[in-house]
Amino acid sequence: MPLSRRNLYRILFMACVAGYIWLYIGLSIHQSGIKTVEVCPIKHLTNIPCPSCGSTRAVILLTKGEFVKALLLNPLGYVVAVIMMLTPFWILADLVTQKETLYKCYQKTEMHLRKPGVAIPLILFVIVNWIWNITKGL
Amino acid sequence: MEAQKVDMFIMANGKFFESHQVAQIRERLIQMDDSKWGMIQTLQFKDPTTSLIISLLGGSLGIDRFMIGDTGLGVGKLLTCGGLGIWAIIDWFMIMGATREKNMSRLQQVLY
Repeated sequence: MPLSRRNLYRILFMACVAGYIWLYIGLSIHQSGIKTVEVCPIKHLTNIPCPSCGSTRAVILLTKGEFVKALLLNPLGYVVAVIMMLTPFWILADLVTQKETLYKCYQKTEMHLRKPGVAIPLILFVIVNWIWNITKGL
Repeated sequence: MEAQKVDMFIMANGKFFESHQVAQIRERLIQMDDSKWGMIQTLQFKDPTTSLIISLLGGSLGIDRFMIGDTGLGVGKLLTCGGLGIWAIIDWFMIMGATREKNMSRLQQVLY
């Protein structure tokens, strides 16, 4: 039994709300000139950045229109930004039209991601990004 | 199916399921046709303890969720440093139950 439709939409909605609140906090801190708060447990424990460290800063840069800087900081910021922009509207559209296109898309993506041909390049990408993060000293 | 066979299965695999599901599984297996026994015996279940260890070690990279087959949630955890660390901690307590649910759904695919 995969995740039920209702649960998936609930989790995604909560994640989006949390994401936007986090982005708002990040933006207001960024504007006041202080360094952004770091909450990553891996970085706090080991002092080594994790693969997705810096994605908050990358999204903040994206909101300011600095696309190249964001890409250089952490390419995963783009993925996060696209998901954050798409999902609220998609959930809303599904609720209004009483369809489950997002749920079906989610399941299809999950199936697709499990194929070794897709999974291995993505894992390699994350590892390379991780090494890059460590050398950048995020 | 014979009660003895079923009890043997329950004894060997009971730890992979939620306790409230065991009685239901037993009943269902007893009603079941003998021809499916071979298939049920070859099913591989994920150990909840292993997933707890993985959750403690690699939870903030989402590895625990990938392991039990929740690829989508795994990607979510990976992209957000384990949900800013909060989701990773919640999952230390949730992952054993989630693994048992996954095992149950795997068994259900054969049972029904």
